[in-house]
Amino acid sequence: MPRTSDSNWVFLRKYLRPQRTSVILMVALLLGSIVVEVAEPRIVSYFIESVQLGASEETLLRIALVFLGAALARQVMHVLASFASERVAWTATNALRADLTAHVLNLDLTFHESRSPGELIERIDGDVNEIAQFFSTLIVRLLGNMLLLVFILVSLFVIDWRIGAACTGVVVVGMLLLQRVSRMAGPRWQADREQSALFFGYVSEALRATEDIRSSSAVSYAMARFHRQLRTWLPVKVRAEAWGSLIWIVVSMVFVALAAVSFGLGGGLFQAGAVPLSDVYLVVTYSVMLATPMEVIREQLQHLQRATAAMWRVSELLAVSSKLRNGTKPLPSGPLSVEFRDVTFSYERDPGSKVLRDLTLSIEPGATLGLVGRTGAGKTTMAHLLFRMYDPRHGQVRLGGVDVKDADLKSLRSRIGFVTQDVHIFDATVRDNLTFFDTGVDDARLLDILHTLGLRPWLTALPDGMDTRISGSSVSAGQAQLIALARVFIKDPGLVILDEPSSRLDPGTGHLLERALDRLLENRTCVVIAHRLDTIRRADTVAVIDGGRVTEHGATRDLLGEPASRLAELCRAGEVLE
Amino acid sequence: MKTRGGKGKWFTLRTILRVMAFHRGLYAASAVGWMIFHLWPLLPGVLGKALFDTLEGGTEAELNLTTIVAILVAAGLARMASIFGATVAVAGWHVRTRGLVQRNLLARLFERPGARAMPGNVGAGISTLRDDSEAISLMGDWGFDALSAVIFASTGLAILISVDARVTLLVMVPMICVIALAQLAKARAHTLRERSRAATAQVTGTIGEIVVAVRAIQAAGTQDNVVAHLARQGDERRHAMVRDKTQSYALDAVFNSTASLGAGLILLTAAGAMRSGDFTIGDFVLFATYLMQVASYTGFIGYLVRTFQQVRVSLDRSVELMQGAPPMDVVKHHPLYLKSDAPVDVPPRRADEPLDVLNATGLTYRFPGSERGIDDVSLRVERGSVTVVAGPMGAGKTTTLRALLGLLDRQGGEIDWNGRAVADPGDFLVPPRVAYTAQTPTLVSGTLRENILLGLPDDGGVVTDAVRRAVLGPDVASMPDGLDTEIGVRGVRLSGGQIQRTAAARMFARDPELLVMDDLSSALDVETERELWRMVFSAGVTVLAVSHRRAVLERADQIVLLDSGSVVARGTLLELLDTSPQMRRLYGPEAARPH
Repeated sequence: MPRTSDSNWVFLRKYLRPQRTSVILMVALLLGSIVVEVAEPRIVSYFIESVQLGASEETLLRIALVFLGAALARQVMHVLASFASERVAWTATNALRADLTAHVLNLDLTFHESRSPGELIERIDGDVNEIAQFFSTLIVRLLGNMLLLVFILVSLFVIDWRIGAACTGVVVVGMLLLQRVSRMAGPRWQADREQSALFFGYVSEALRATEDIRSSSAVSYAMARFHRQLRTWLPVKVRAEAWGSLIWIVVSMVFVALAAVSFGLGGGLFQAGAVPLSDVYLVVTYSVMLATPMEVIREQLQHLQRATAAMWRVSELLAVSSKLRNGTKPLPSGPLSVEFRDVTFSYERDPGSKVLRDLTLSIEPGATLGLVGRTGAGKTTMAHLLFRMYDPRHGQVRLGGVDVKDADLKSLRSRIGFVTQDVHIFDATVRDNLTFFDTGVDDARLLDILHTLGLRPWLTALPDGMDTRISGSSVSAGQAQLIALARVFIKDPGLVILDEPSSRLDPGTGHLLERALDRLLENRTCVVIAHRLDTIRRADTVAVIDGGRVTEHGATRDLLGEPASRLAELCRAGEVLE
Repeated sequence: MKTRGGKGKWFTLRTILRVMAFHRGLYAASAVGWMIFHLWPLLPGVLGKALFDTLEGGTEAELNLTTIVAILVAAGLARMASIFGATVAVAGWHVRTRGLVQRNLLARLFERPGARAMPGNVGAGISTLRDDSEAISLMGDWGFDALSAVIFASTGLAILISVDARVTLLVMVPMICVIALAQLAKARAHTLRERSRAATAQVTGTIGEIVVAVRAIQAAGTQDNVVAHLARQGDERRHAMVRDKTQSYALDAVFNSTASLGAGLILLTAAGAMRSGDFTIGDFVLFATYLMQVASYTGFIGYLVRTFQQVRVSLDRSVELMQGAPPMDVVKHHPLYLKSDAPVDVPPRRADEPLDVLNATGLTYRFPGSERGIDDVSLRVERGSVTVVAGPMGAGKTTTLRALLGLLDRQGGEIDWNGRAVADPGDFLVPPRVAYTAQTPTLVSGTLRENILLGLPDDGGVVTDAVRRAVLGPDVASMPDGLDTEIGVRGVRLSGGQIQRTAAARMFARDPELLVMDDLSSALDVETERELWRMVFSAGVTVLAVSHRRAVLERADQIVLLDSGSVVARGTLLELLDTSPQMRRLYGPEAARPH
């Protein structure tokens, strides 16, 4: 796979280069600790040799102290190397995570519609963590243990080539077996993870649905589904564990084989007078030391595979570029005029069906336009085009006389305020929720807007005021909608797009909002997607949208007064319900 | 971790014993296999000593080289067999015991009032069902693990003392020091681990929110601020992580060095004895091999202590989730239906007693730790009538419906059905007597059909009829597999309006005496909603609903107007507009007039 190893290399270079010194230091420490690890048994064997040669007790004690010193030095070097590798890994992956997030945030809606949030979380969080593992453990664990393995085998060859050859044979066969078994076990573990995800998916759904399940008398049904999930999972789990245990069994086998080789061959060669007893000790110790690096290498190779796949997915994501080309023209200040010129639009995922067809419509600066029509008529799409979340197939969208394609995106989005129906409340402070983590907005301005929107009493009741942490579950749907409005007016926009601003408010709060809007929309152009009569009534003109076209456009008063108009017809349905 | 209600170590031990008694055969097989596995490491040291004693030709050499290797290989094969058998046995046993704990928790939560089944937030409950159940199940291993640990340590010590008591003591003392040190360090490790975990959770949470809120962030044009915010949190995590990991590497180093440290100490203490031949190379090999076990053994003991502490926390959390049920019920034995489907109770088609009048007086509910809620709300619903509960945001409309239906544990109030007192409305005011559609219904993955039926037999076109009445027909027609379309986790593949109408279809499929609906209209467009209400009213069935819609208010036989948790007025729309200033403010003609 040349492509994947390429991406490995690119990542290593890009994110490790700034930390060159740390990386070099880490490798040096690691090498040192491995050399000492292999040397330790040598010291003991020298001790044994000295005992047999009848060395003085003083000499023996000195050797023992050298051994202790080496053992301590090795641990210190190992800890330092691990510390360095963790630092390198987290610095590198934090940079990668920030780059990736910024990249994703600047991609257009066409991209975001084709990816689920879960998938993006998997990329930015899951895959990047996998890469962090790669950075932090690859060098220390994989490289370190490979070196250790080689050093030990070489040492065994130096003692006696037959022992070296036999141990190398066991290691090679063992590695091949391990690879094979873990490859076979992989799909079984995958199946187990899938079952586990299904099982807990169901359990968490059922727990969230207690109100529905209780009130539908469906408790025994919900329990029966639980039992069924458990029943499907059981054999899958047992099979995965059985295959997993094979890996362990192979490791045991290798351990026993190495011990048998070193005992039998080492003992035999000693009895034949070919090696001294101190070498038998070395052989036995080294052969026992071989099993651990083998297991670690197998584990790390799996990590490497996963990390490589993760890097490939991440670089693929980084390679996606936004379809929207940024323009250069800034939008004028003050209220903006709005113009749709023969606009045709269809979604990328469904190019055949046109959401907007040759739509033409304009609004004077400072006026309010109501968009009315059934769900799916194209109202929200019009809002998205104004905000340049997509580009039209044909035609032009112009704001303040500038084609949005030529406008600088930053300037465009700072001049337009867009309030959607689904409001996202961050798990963060009130201030961060209003400013989106922008630290440059002063509190007086925030307080002023909250006051206008009638949110002051709410804020006063919070324990820490602006610094109170809130979340989606601690504010009501109505409050969330008001917070979304506050966010928009902090920007001082020249055009405000509202998607049925009062949909989640009770009539009383709705009226309060209406009064607030009167003040906030002063000297601003406004496009409001309206489902309610009250909302329609506040618009200067109304456009009825049907099948992606304007079927009616005129002054609100005139259309409401004309019983034959489409708006009046919709309102008759609306009035009964409002 | 503090334990509540006098439960502690003994309660933990009792639960472990109870768990161990579940599927005894499997448990015994696991225990035998794992004990062979745990005790096996005693052998290589003894064989190593035998090898060197034989080679040196000492007095203890009674075995020859071939025999030693043969014993090694035979024991190795036995170990492999025990690994396989024990893994398979314990895997099956874990699934069962864990499933048992989950079953017990789930069954208890389904007994609780549906709108507040869990004492804390849902996430915490889910994590208890997921992780704490596993901790409790894994505790079963604790029995044979702890036993093996004791046998291993005593046998190992006995062997060492029989070889050389002096060296054993001189080596064991520093080892105990190391263990004590490591134990002390562990307490600190805990806080660092918590910190890095919290930092990680923060980063993960922020990423999750950013990804969900892409549109909002782009709308606000604050991408740079958001990335900077994430980077700050990433930095915090890096600090916490590096400290945490470094500390755990350092702790590992302490454990890893016990073997070398001990070996060095033996060389120091036994140098003289080795010269004189009192302490053989074989003895050194035995000590050195066992010393290698000390690191993993102390690690193992640490693991046993830790898991015991963790399971106490897990048990506490599970008992808390059981909300007042006897604590031992967490591990009460129940069938798990691993061979055939569990029975499903189907509610009867018709109510045993048709509704004449449903009466609730003095309903009171306060949210825990707050003043909010409802106070002394009374309702009277007569057969064939339409009752609408109205009022401003936060007036207690949803709470009133939930308290009435037993979906919240009311703190006061009487409910009667045709004059007979209803003690537990959660079990009584359910299909076929009452069916309910919540304001934001929650569906479960599966097909549309399954979600409408929820275990009801689909005979006589129940589903088709329910779909028609819920105005879901056109939507179903446009779905790829119609009623058998998979709706995804919690119904993600459906729009908000479709979810609401699916819940309405579920309600209609139960053909109840009384329909209870909480703001059906919040996610529907005008025409669909009008059609849905037409269907509701056309059946001439008794209705209790929360709604702001004027048409519904007009149709109501009585409106119960709530404000701040109390009834402020009741009557028809015309009466209330006449008599109640609040009603006029909310729904009067002046409210709808443009400003």
